[in-house]
Amino acid sequence: MTAVTMLTSQPAVLLRRILISIALFAAVGSQPARAEDADTTRDAILNDPAAPIAGNPEGDVTIVAFFDYNCPFCKKAEPDLERVVKADGKIRLVYKDWPILSEASIRGAQLVLAAKYQGKYDVAHQALMNIPGTKISAEQMREAIKASGIDMDRMDADLAARADEITALLRRNLAQADAIGLQGTPGYLIGQYKVTSALNYNGFKRAVADARALAAKR
Amino acid sequence: MPRIHLHRVVLFLLALFTCVPVSAQSGNPPPADQVFSLTPSRSTEGGLQLDWRIAPGDYLYRDKIAVKTDTGETVAVTTPPGQIKDDPTFGATEIYHDHVQADVAAADLPATGQVVIIYQGCAERGICYPPFRKRIDLAAMTVTNGAAADPLQDIEAAVPDQSPVGSPANVSASGDGIPATTRLLSGHVLAMLAAFFGFGLLLSFTPCFFPMIPILSGILARSGEHLSAKRGFVLSAAYVLAMALAYAALGVAAAWSGQNLQIALQTPLALGAISLVFVALALSMFGLYDLQLPARWIGRLSGGAAGNRGSIGGAALLGFGSALIVGPCVTPPLAAALLYVAQAGDLARGASALFALGLGMGVPLLAFGTFGAGLLPKSGPWLVRIKHVFGLVFIAMAVWMLSRVTPEWLTFELWGACLIGLGLYLGATSVLSKKFWCNCRVGPEIPGAIALVCGALLLFGSIPGNDLLHALPILDSCKTNDEAATGIDVQTVTSLATFDAAMATARATGKPVLLDFSANWCVECKIIDRSVLGNKTVRERMRDVVLIRADMTDYNDDSRALMQRFNVVGPPTMIFLDAQAGQEIPETRTVGPVDADTFIGKIASARGS
Repeated sequence: MTAVTMLTSQPAVLLRRILISIALFAAVGSQPARAEDADTTRDAILNDPAAPIAGNPEGDVTIVAFFDYNCPFCKKAEPDLERVVKADGKIRLVYKDWPILSEASIRGAQLVLAAKYQGKYDVAHQALMNIPGTKISAEQMREAIKASGIDMDRMDADLAARADEITALLRRNLAQADAIGLQGTPGYLIGQYKVTSALNYNGFKRAVADARALAAKR
Repeated sequence: MPRIHLHRVVLFLLALFTCVPVSAQSGNPPPADQVFSLTPSRSTEGGLQLDWRIAPGDYLYRDKIAVKTDTGETVAVTTPPGQIKDDPTFGATEIYHDHVQADVAAADLPATGQVVIIYQGCAERGICYPPFRKRIDLAAMTVTNGAAADPLQDIEAAVPDQSPVGSPANVSASGDGIPATTRLLSGHVLAMLAAFFGFGLLLSFTPCFFPMIPILSGILARSGEHLSAKRGFVLSAAYVLAMALAYAALGVAAAWSGQNLQIALQTPLALGAISLVFVALALSMFGLYDLQLPARWIGRLSGGAAGNRGSIGGAALLGFGSALIVGPCVTPPLAAALLYVAQAGDLARGASALFALGLGMGVPLLAFGTFGAGLLPKSGPWLVRIKHVFGLVFIAMAVWMLSRVTPEWLTFELWGACLIGLGLYLGATSVLSKKFWCNCRVGPEIPGAIALVCGALLLFGSIPGNDLLHALPILDSCKTNDEAATGIDVQTVTSLATFDAAMATARATGKPVLLDFSANWCVECKIIDRSVLGNKTVRERMRDVVLIRADMTDYNDDSRALMQRFNVVGPPTMIFLDAQAGQEIPETRTVGPVDADTFIGKIASARGS
């Protein structure tokens, strides 16, 4: 049932779903409750120095995207997300590779994060997001990255040399997704809001506007 | 434009959220674990049948359903064709909505131990869940969570799957007090026996055990002038031993059939049979001069003309029967032992625990039988009177037992008849004679006459269609009326289908659900209704809870399926459920008697979850 047919037939159900999917990103405070929670503070989630960022680094709204390279909804939402970031011009976008759906997803995340060391994270990221489907193997992912023009030898060398760094970042991402209560992919933090499902262009746009309105009120 | 209105409403509600401290959890989708609920069962051919209930709007992938052995070998699993979902971003995939059943052939299953079920799915609104890993114990058909998903474990030193093996302590049915008793069951055998003996001793002071006292008293009274402390001891020992054996038999039955025999015996046939036994006993107790039965019958029933030979066997028979049928009270130790036997398959340990429980329950009876026997008069007209009194008690027992299966009006008719009988026995009719008034003496005739009048009122008042019963407030208050008793709206269900329908209604309210397993024959349930659900604070708190009552009065496949779905041994058992997911909220279950304060705590944790 599409959202439009639901709107006409079951508005209350749709309303509840929207409410369910958007909740405030308020539980994650600025102070860690315990020392080991330092990785999951609001600040650590928004400003992890190792996490790749895009958009406007000085933007007034930050979108944090948690995604998996075998997640169909992430792939479907990706072009709309990029479009909103570009069109708006004042959005800071943080990528959180969160490989939870398959073993290949983990491999894909490692490769893409290794490409970051040659300044090509976004190229590799787009290459994997552009493969349609839900059952992409690690080999297919590697092929797609190769086809995007990444220096594969350098990527492999970086992957070997920086394995610990990459794993540590993935672990932090996992812990952060847990801390904010994400159940599956994709999950977004848009300003103060937590969105627990994929959005389309208008959805992102509206959420960003709502986030700005809320920030102005505070 | 409904869309704009909707947007405004959402914004308004979000603004509300910003005014109150809201945890990020509050608006979360239901835990991923609850959108796909997996129920395993044995197929008729001995294979494994896996049933998933899929929440509306969610779907499972056909090709992501996998079954593995403990050692990681893949087990063949048959899945039905799914719905084809063809979307440019998704590629063509086969998915299931609402419900799916997968089967593993008996030949492919390991003989014992556990299998791991892996499955994965998404929600249409745009979210995909990580794979689920569930362990199924093939003996007990219980589902436990597999290894906590750590997707990165393969990157680092390959850590083998070290999830705890689903010992009975981890089973999903974790009732109040049950985990502790379950741990005892797997501990040292002597400690276990001592503990269950102790539990029994404590349980003997609960109301569901009280009917045992008049029954044993009746048995002792039948011995008449031959009753001595020694004989009292022997008779009550026979009664208690048989009772303990009956409890052990419950364990054996649970191991064989997975059923609670006590509940299975709450049928018109079994209750009718034991009622007949009580009536026959009662007749033999005053039958010798009032109600003549063929001498042969009386001889059999009372164990010889003097009533003292063979009555040890009779005591044992009654002990066995009353433990099974008279007092079907599920309590945490009983539930723990029965679940332990059914799930761990350790019959000897479970049955001996139950035997110890029965012995413990019998100790006060033994003391009562031995010392009480010394106190009863040895001869004289008293002896005859006492026999008659217990004859009446036995008749009352018979009516009480039948009342579990007879319609309400018939129960009142029977009580009416009893009262009339009592009135006649006490000589109520002599009140009408001139002689009575001339003698001016106050005897049992007066209460007899009262009993006669009350009995007649009951007899005529409870004839169906007659409104006299309602005119008598005292009698009306005896009538069982769930809502009147508790002031709480209750929806009664008797099968999985009606339960699911009630849950669907409850889901719309967004409140947690209290699933209350109850039955007409459950004495303890009535007490809970009165003292817990009738409690003022509880009633207030229950406004935020939907009460669904699973009525187990009729024990059949439907009620059994309901009990099995929630791993319930018998009423009274109360479980709080998350209405959205239809799953039990951990730490909220109560088994057996419960007090209002404990229950208020359970409501609080159900609402807080």
